[in-house]
Amino acid sequence: MAGISAPTPSFAARAGQFALRWSLVIALFVAWELLTRTRTFTPFMLPSPQSVSERIMRDASSGDLFINMALTIYRALAGFIIAAMLGISLGLVMTRNAGLRWFFDPVISVGFPMPKITFLPVIVLWLGFYDTAKISMVVFDAIFPILTATIAGVRSVEKELIWSARNLGARERDVMWQILLPAASPQILTGLQVALPIALIVAVVAEMMMGGYGMGGAMIEASRKADSRGVFAGIIEISIIGWIFVKAMAMTRARLLFWHAER
Amino acid sequence: MSGIVVEGLRHLYRPKRGSPVLALEDVNLRVGDQEFIALLGPSGCGKSTLLYLMGGFLPVESGRITVDGAPVSGPGPDRGIVFQHFALFPWKTVLQNVLYGLERQPMAQAEREERARAFIKMVGLSGFENNYPSQLSGGMKQRAAIARTLAIDPKVLLMDEPFGALDAQTRHLMQTELLAIWRRTPKTVIFVTHDVQEAVYLAQRIVVMSARPGRIKEIVEVGLDKADPELTRSRAFADMSDHVWSLVRDEAIKAQAGVGL
Repeated sequence: MAGISAPTPSFAARAGQFALRWSLVIALFVAWELLTRTRTFTPFMLPSPQSVSERIMRDASSGDLFINMALTIYRALAGFIIAAMLGISLGLVMTRNAGLRWFFDPVISVGFPMPKITFLPVIVLWLGFYDTAKISMVVFDAIFPILTATIAGVRSVEKELIWSARNLGARERDVMWQILLPAASPQILTGLQVALPIALIVAVVAEMMMGGYGMGGAMIEASRKADSRGVFAGIIEISIIGWIFVKAMAMTRARLLFWHAER
Repeated sequence: MSGIVVEGLRHLYRPKRGSPVLALEDVNLRVGDQEFIALLGPSGCGKSTLLYLMGGFLPVESGRITVDGAPVSGPGPDRGIVFQHFALFPWKTVLQNVLYGLERQPMAQAEREERARAFIKMVGLSGFENNYPSQLSGGMKQRAAIARTLAIDPKVLLMDEPFGALDAQTRHLMQTELLAIWRRTPKTVIFVTHDVQEAVYLAQRIVVMSARPGRIKEIVEVGLDKADPELTRSRAFADMSDHVWSLVRDEAIKAQAGVGL
């Protein structure tokens, strides 16, 4: 919509703003550089930013970086999408059916606060070390925030909205997918925004525990070989993936909730 | 028997905490076809509850409500409802909102769209078809909600304090327009309000309800000429408002006392 907009700030002003906004992150890198220059720590304890970035470049040119990144992203996203589909559907059905809610409530109350990672040894016994096991672990952890956000969201939908839809001829199924889902979507998206970083964390942890390709596996392997540059490179790479995930999710939210007043 | 018949209706309101409250007791009412009825009473007198029971949104537990002889068993497009806070679907445009009910009716898509646009025009929202509710003022939102309900051509129009959330000028404008719409597309209207002047201005008959438990205290025949543009300034209007207000006042005082306890 056309309207009165603030004058576009100059390039210098925008660059200044950017620097201020990222100043803490920049300060962290500067501190890192200083600590290595002053030899406060040995290069083994804390390799220099330069040596770590060289390491990232080398991994990138050999292709290992992209294979590992792609695998971790695949496992995190596959688990996240399965968790989203299951969590949202189950949440919608549960709020509309008192019996199902009664039946599932104890599992959720016990399952949500419990550290799901304790099931990892069991998952390994049942499903092995490969993608099925890792993705299952991600689903298991990411589903709870989505499920609880969906339940909270659907329960807070105004009854007038549901009554209006029923009045206009909507059946129970229509109400669920056409009214409750969009009306609860602000809260559901909040649940998804919480679940996505969890999915990445669990994917990396599962890879660390189970081994094989992937960011987590590569870091554990580097650690076992006393390759500290490799470990630090992994930390940087995973942070970048996490940052991209969070940004992409926030953009998706803004795009889906254009009708919803948010500040 | 055509029209709406309410017989021996009793309704218990069960709050999640605390003991049940008798919301309605022994309510009997007959509403003729195309009649404009106002349900008037202090807040908490059960007038909205009565409306929701007629709409089929709440289950009838004791007594009966029939529409054209058939007992009410759930919500249906034959009884359209308009709420105080509009209840528009905020993720849909005005046009999509109005189309929602039409999409459930057997007609060609082109016809649906034509019909939706006609009703949007009728409530004076032409040019705002593609706006989202968040981009509309309160009065415009209620116009959109009225268009959405009228588009499915209900036989009965249930209105739950529809102008209660609007400012005074908009409210008056909407009242005038509602009467004009009612004259053009005659329907049975059940209009819930706590505003005496609004009830006298709009309704043919006013059902005055008593405070908790809600009962019908008196049914007043208004008998004023609604087409008269000077109506609200007439002596007859003032006298009628006075009479109805005297009926409501005692109940409002009782309701206040009830709140104070």
